[in-house]
Amino acid sequence: MNEPSPAKSVLRLFLWLISPVLAVMLWLIWVVQTPTDGSFIRFVNAMLTSFTLVSFMLLLTLVVYGDARKRPVSPLFGMLLCVSVGAALTVFFLSQGDLLMEANGSVRAQALSNIIRFATTALAVVVAVMIVGGTLFSSLLNSPPRTISFEEE
Amino acid sequence: MQAFVFFWLAGLLATLGLMFAFFSKAAMGRKIGSIMLAVGFLSLLATPWTIPFSPSSAYGHLLGSIIGPTVLLGVGFYQIAFSGHVPVGRLSKGDRNTGIIMVIIGVLWIEAMHWFVFTPVYPNEVNRYWLIFWPTLLLFGLACSTGAYAMVGIVGDERHQERRLMLVLTVFFSALIVLGASLDGPNVNHERFAIELLLSGADLFGVAVGAAFSVVLFALVMLIYEAQQPAPHRLAPPTTEQLQQAATTIATHVSGGEEDE
Repeated sequence: MNEPSPAKSVLRLFLWLISPVLAVMLWLIWVVQTPTDGSFIRFVNAMLTSFTLVSFMLLLTLVVYGDARKRPVSPLFGMLLCVSVGAALTVFFLSQGDLLMEANGSVRAQALSNIIRFATTALAVVVAVMIVGGTLFSSLLNSPPRTISFEEE
Repeated sequence: MQAFVFFWLAGLLATLGLMFAFFSKAAMGRKIGSIMLAVGFLSLLATPWTIPFSPSSAYGHLLGSIIGPTVLLGVGFYQIAFSGHVPVGRLSKGDRNTGIIMVIIGVLWIEAMHWFVFTPVYPNEVNRYWLIFWPTLLLFGLACSTGAYAMVGIVGDERHQERRLMLVLTVFFSALIVLGASLDGPNVNHERFAIELLLSGADLFGVAVGAAFSVVLFALVMLIYEAQQPAPHRLAPPTTEQLQQAATTIATHVSGGEEDE
């Protein structure tokens, strides 16, 4: 039997990850008739916030990278540029009137609200991973140990 | 100013502390990181008392509301997993049973926060961040369990029990989503839940796309930097004299057996 290539396996895994969320969202829109107001604004706000904050976290990991590479400045500068671009894009889009604003009164309030919402999403993701990972590893480590049987020559 | 110190500075302290605690190579760095994390986390937890006037304090209230079931689930799963076939530090059967009870109580507790009167209410209405947390947890739990089902199939060999378990989790999360969007809870009605579920889906996709962009850019920055580095200095091949010296040294340290195998 042919083993699937790594690229196909990754694609399969990606589809298994993404399709249930898409299915639930389509079910909500078409079957439950849930109003979609504000979904796109939430998507863009989450994307810009995530880009800026993840870039900032990756920037911090460069401190660890610097230990092994005689503290280079250029990648640090590159990531700093990424964080700045993300922050600038966020402020720019938020300041364009109603484009990305929700119920918050000012750009600053919206940006801070985005960060707290990102932290809440991250918290939910961590708890979900803990539940699924905990269940999986509990089962793996509690199943009987396997023996490898060699065929006699 | 108070909100900046007790919430934002505390949040930054907790994030930096977490990174130092995990990534620092020095023991002192890890210790300082743990202290920073603890101080920042406690300050965030105390925000309903320190800055009750700030809308941000609702996040501290959410943290305080979910800490109980989260700790029960985390410790419970740890006890169950490490009472299995682990080579060192195996826990007893009693610990395993305690773990199972903790997980059951944790699940019931977190369910009661939607289906019973334990819903986090702050200050006079359902905590706005709970309405983000709960649907996101259900949606990502569903995605994660189907992802784990596929991953066990790709990586594992004859792991039918684990795949069945992941299917059970998938059904469990799907059932909670369908029930939440169809039936009213005591504090959250089904229309509100459906709207929040849809917005959580938008949040999840937004976070995933933003994080992916960031990681791709990070990889590009590193790739460009590494590509610009000069090639490492190549040593000249060893001379006959050096080879002779190496052979002598090896012969001194390797004493062969008397008999051939």
